[in-house]
Amino acid sequence: MLRKRVITVLTFNDGVLFRTKVFQPDYRYTLNFVDAWSVDEIVVLDITRPGAGKKENFFSVVSDFAERCFVPLTAGGGVRDIEDFRKLLCLGADKVAINYQALNRPEFISEAARLFGSQCVLVSIDTRENGSGNYEVYSEFGTRPTGLDPVSWAKKAQELGAGEIMITSIEKDGSLEGYDNRLNRLVADAVDIPVIACGGAGKWQDFVDGFLIGKVQAGATTNIYHFTENSIKSAKQYLKKSGVEVRG
Amino acid sequence: MIAIVDYGLGNLKSVYAAVKRLGFEAMVTRDHAALEQADKLILPGVGAFGDGMNNLAAFGLREVLSRMVIGEKKPILGICLGAQLFAGESFEFGRHKGLGWIPASVVRLPEQGLPVPHVGWNDLFQKKSSILFDGVEKEDLFYYVHSFYLRPDDSGIVFGESEYGVRFSAVIQQDNIYATQFHPEKSQLAGLKLLDNFLKKS
Repeated sequence: MLRKRVITVLTFNDGVLFRTKVFQPDYRYTLNFVDAWSVDEIVVLDITRPGAGKKENFFSVVSDFAERCFVPLTAGGGVRDIEDFRKLLCLGADKVAINYQALNRPEFISEAARLFGSQCVLVSIDTRENGSGNYEVYSEFGTRPTGLDPVSWAKKAQELGAGEIMITSIEKDGSLEGYDNRLNRLVADAVDIPVIACGGAGKWQDFVDGFLIGKVQAGATTNIYHFTENSIKSAKQYLKKSGVEVRG
Repeated sequence: MIAIVDYGLGNLKSVYAAVKRLGFEAMVTRDHAALEQADKLILPGVGAFGDGMNNLAAFGLREVLSRMVIGEKKPILGICLGAQLFAGESFEFGRHKGLGWIPASVVRLPEQGLPVPHVGWNDLFQKKSSILFDGVEKEDLFYYVHSFYLRPDDSGIVFGESEYGVRFSAVIQQDNIYATQFHPEKSQLAGLKLLDNFLKKS
């Protein structure tokens, strides 16, 4: 039986691990993936603002992770064309996350899927709730409303060849209040491809709720307290006790 | 020396990193003379079957690989698409002829309310004892990314299976030919163990 996945999302600013509350770089998290972690997958995202750093610094992060972690690796952030996409794959990423350029030029999804296969193409969707219970897709680090509804956008991304959707609730990001499972469920029910929930997980029960209520295939955490080897292991134990089938 | 065959498809770097981590000398190459020097071969790959065979042909690799694997009986491990290429034929996007080293065809996973491709961590049911499984626990999971799988004419060469809507072959072994549908290089400790077994014991 296919297991539910627990994914660690790490964000990098100019090649430095970036935390939303504490700005100090800390590389101990990049060590010992093989030996100690039971994280199922790793996503590394470049969140360097345009002009504020060198691409090469993020490239060396991707390359470093590809050499050290023997689990699937997704890389993304600032991917604008096929050459950017290819570059990350060549550095050792298994999948590439796209967001801005997929919204800007949806046929980019198809071009990437045709060249590298759908399994490589992760479309990341950032959303906000507009106060009346409706959701809207936002672009450019959550600053630009697009007028799109995340359910129709996810369906369109799937039709165009996306292999996976990562859905982030901007309001929940960093809140530790749990995922927005109404949003997750709406998207997960609308597409056949796997959906990754992102933004808001603060305790192990939040993962359980994401799987059982949000119906997602994978729960992602960007929370620093979920990063160490013991915490992922204890998350897995909690999930198993709660009836969610995960890898040990 | 381990040769990781570069035919322009798939994440070669991960396979290379895994082999190096296990302490073996390795090269990623499509150079015929370099390949001939190798003791063992790994044929990785993610992508479509037709593209895979076309690329092997374009780089003139069919003949050199067949000579080494069928003629000289050098051990080879095929991973995912690389494993499927060992078959006689595939039905992915039309009908394609494969390398024909093992009597098998490549067929699509049935869509039975489950999304295809099959992506993620899943079981490996050990059906027959294999050197590849030494030290691999029955409950160890492996990472799969595929829409098609190898269906052998003779189930006797199936050493491991998995299940996703249907039982399918996950490990095939025939003489010096080893094939895994999952990605050992992406399956953390269990994957590295299985790869180490191939490198040390095949």
